[in-house]
Amino acid sequence: MNFMTTTKELLLVYPAMKRVLLNENVNVMLTPQFYTLKKEILPMKYAYQAKKIAPSLFDGLLEEGGNYEYMVYKEKDQWVFIAYDSEHIEAFLSSKGVAPAQVSKIFFAEQAVDKFTHPLKLGESEALVVLDGNAVVVPQSALEEGESSFLVFDKRFTPQKGVSLQGASGSILSRKQAFAFGGLFLLFSALFIAEGLRYGGSQSSKEELERLYSDYPALQSSYTREEILHKYRNIDKEERAKRELVKKFSSFIFKGVTLTHLNISGDRYKTEFACVSKSVSQKLEALAKKEHLKTSKIKNSHNLIIEGTL
Amino acid sequence: MSWREYQNEIIALAALGIMFFAYIYKYNSVSSSTQEAKKIQRTIEEVKEVAALKKIWADKKTDKRVEALHTLVPTDKIKWQKKSKKLTAKYTDLRANELNKLITKVLNLPVRITFLDVTKRGANYNVELKCKW
Repeated sequence: MNFMTTTKELLLVYPAMKRVLLNENVNVMLTPQFYTLKKEILPMKYAYQAKKIAPSLFDGLLEEGGNYEYMVYKEKDQWVFIAYDSEHIEAFLSSKGVAPAQVSKIFFAEQAVDKFTHPLKLGESEALVVLDGNAVVVPQSALEEGESSFLVFDKRFTPQKGVSLQGASGSILSRKQAFAFGGLFLLFSALFIAEGLRYGGSQSSKEELERLYSDYPALQSSYTREEILHKYRNIDKEERAKRELVKKFSSFIFKGVTLTHLNISGDRYKTEFACVSKSVSQKLEALAKKEHLKTSKIKNSHNLIIEGTL
Repeated sequence: MSWREYQNEIIALAALGIMFFAYIYKYNSVSSSTQEAKKIQRTIEEVKEVAALKKIWADKKTDKRVEALHTLVPTDKIKWQKKSKKLTAKYTDLRANELNKLITKVLNLPVRITFLDVTKRGANYNVELKCKW
């Protein structure tokens, strides 16, 4: 698609043209001296298929050593093949003061044959005419008397489809490389997007949560959950601590030790053990200290008190 | 200088830009999904913990199970006062084995022990227990 066609000036390029001075970018139309034309009726549906066989069609027709590119389009029931040497064209344009970077699109005179209703003057001695449906260059002297009126060339001659000059600038990348990189990056983009879309969290976790919510509807609110958790975690912690403590005191009862008093009230506890001898008392004290419990002795006895808070 | 001079680079850079934004999208998507998954997992754990704690400490069968403390020792040794979800029990003259049975039973019941007092009187024990559930 070319949105620029109608807005840019169209410069007719022919070998005898004078040097030009351009202030802005232009489209260029080449006369037949710059390309080789072939028309063939081929059983092909798409242009890319025809373009594939273009080099073989021009076998022996093109000068050797040229770097040829091809433009292919369909005209009624036949395919039109145009071979052109972009390096040669670039060199010629440069010699006429047209920098390749100033060239937006290149068109071929053959593309506008229906607009050449009269001869088009090319310099002093030649003219562009349409013969047998093809654009050709002839000497002006060969024109018949009645053909002395010439067309005025302007951008109305701009065809729809043109080609770009390859390497017409300081480009580091060729068009092929640009498309290769572009394709690769877009492929990665598609993979990233697909991966991004695929992530929707674990479905099994969501289902499990839904099931839990249906079993405990009151727990759907995080506020309620936290409140209940806070309450029961404290109860659990305190009650487990009490039970652990009583189990510890049970383990302190061995030969020579008797529990005389145990009191747990709120978060405070106090226990008294009667010991038969000093050594037993010391052993019990050592056991209590191992469990980080605070001990105290009762005067004039071997009895030991363990007290503290939970 | 015209943009056309560098249109090939522009094509490649535009595709690179798209890839960059696609990567950011993926990164954000993965990141938010991971956070959401963590949040769901945390909620599941919370709900399970609440359910488990309630099952222990707010069990409706506890009321019946507490009755075992009444039948564990001969009734003449017990002063039993159970009101609503609170129990005050006083045990007197418990032998050592009775004391052991009683304490083991109390510790295994899911009740909140608010007061426990064990006092040795001669060879036996007196126990006062206050608990709620």
